[in-house]
Amino acid sequence: MSGGQTLNLFLNIGFPIALLVFAYLIGSLIERRHFANIRKRESELRGFPVTTFERLPERWQVSSAGLVSGSIVVSLDYFKRVIAGLRAIVGGRVKTYEPLLERARREALLRMTEDARRAGYDAVINVRLETSRLANAAGNGNSTAGVEMLAFGTAVKLERR
Amino acid sequence: MRYVPREPRDGINVSKTHALVEAGTLVAGFSLIFVLIVLVLVFMVELALLFVSPEAEARVFENWQPGDLVAVDADDRRLAEVDALTQRLARHWPDSPYRFRVAINDSEKPNAMAFPGGLIIVTTGLLDRVQSENELAFVLGHEIGHFRNRDHLRMLGRGMLLTLSLSALGDGSGAGLGLTIADLTLRGFSRRQEADADEFGLTLVHAEYGHIAESTRFFERVADEFGGDHGYYEYVATHPSPEDRIDEIRELGRQRGWSESGPPVPLQW
Ligand SMILES: [Zn+2]
Repeated sequence: MSGGQTLNLFLNIGFPIALLVFAYLIGSLIERRHFANIRKRESELRGFPVTTFERLPERWQVSSAGLVSGSIVVSLDYFKRVIAGLRAIVGGRVKTYEPLLERARREALLRMTEDARRAGYDAVINVRLETSRLANAAGNGNSTAGVEMLAFGTAVKLERR
Repeated sequence: MRYVPREPRDGINVSKTHALVEAGTLVAGFSLIFVLIVLVLVFMVELALLFVSPEAEARVFENWQPGDLVAVDADDRRLAEVDALTQRLARHWPDSPYRFRVAINDSEKPNAMAFPGGLIIVTTGLLDRVQSENELAFVLGHEIGHFRNRDHLRMLGRGMLLTLSLSALGDGSGAGLGLTIADLTLRGFSRRQEADADEFGLTLVHAEYGHIAESTRFFERVADEFGGDHGYYEYVATHPSPEDRIDEIRELGRQRGWSESGPPVPLQW
């Protein structure tokens, strides 16, 4: 194969593949570290009640309450996007997106819980999760800049537990 | 009721499949499917060619105006000479069903293309760069070779079917992968076609001049001019790279015992 065709082949195939490998390596490193960080903080917050009750349990004596929220915006990496694009043709579980949304969910809940604890509350009830898609700068709806995961709930301070 | 603290468990919402396994499965699966699609397309085009005789093709596309396809420079005074040279070369293919026509496309990039019905379009960029009639004759002979092997219809048919079948995928990563696989698969076919067209072109040149001197000069010159950069140079995008061809053409000449030396015919412009 001559120089010209090698160059052509590199530009058409090699460059996207290099970008994929780069995105995969950096993306999975970030993901691993994020999960480790999430697990560490979750074990620190163990014992802090976070529930989806809409009403207070009868025995709880609440002295104060307030809204707490935590949110995170996460973006796909190029690798996940490309693989999900292929997956979208045949359908099925978009396996590369699942860890991303799992991270977002747990991180948002953690931020909310940390917010509640820092403000001196004892528990959070009526917790809700919401997801919204952020449009990219072009705003044409064809691609997504990322998703926002928002967790919010009512934090309560108890007179006695 | 008692609140029991519990940490979130891993692995409920996340599939156990490793991302690379997922990627490998999808890429391998789709590659296989795309290779099969391309092979089916190639087969369908070959089948269609059996039903369209060269005579029928020549009749249908007889009235095609080159201006419908590309911007044509009808006033270029080199047109008459290129046309006359094409007719002289075509005389060495006596049972040709085509009545060859030539048009000049006003484009800086050197290129030559074969269109249905015997239409050959050369660019001003090509005419600016050829320095003897022999150089031009081989480029034209190569295009005539495409007509003889009916590659111009193959390219057109495959291109159309491929565009049609890939358009269903939109412009996402699936279409990108599909195009790459299709390109790699078709590369093998087009390489064979180009070599065959070179062979026929060289036969015409030898029949016309009695030698094949200067047949590769044009390619040597553009290889020098564009250097390693000819990935972007159009003639290479639709033809093999100059370096590869030069060697193959020389080898073919040696096998046939055709003389590589002879007086070049100067151009009249
Ligand atoms: Zn060709």
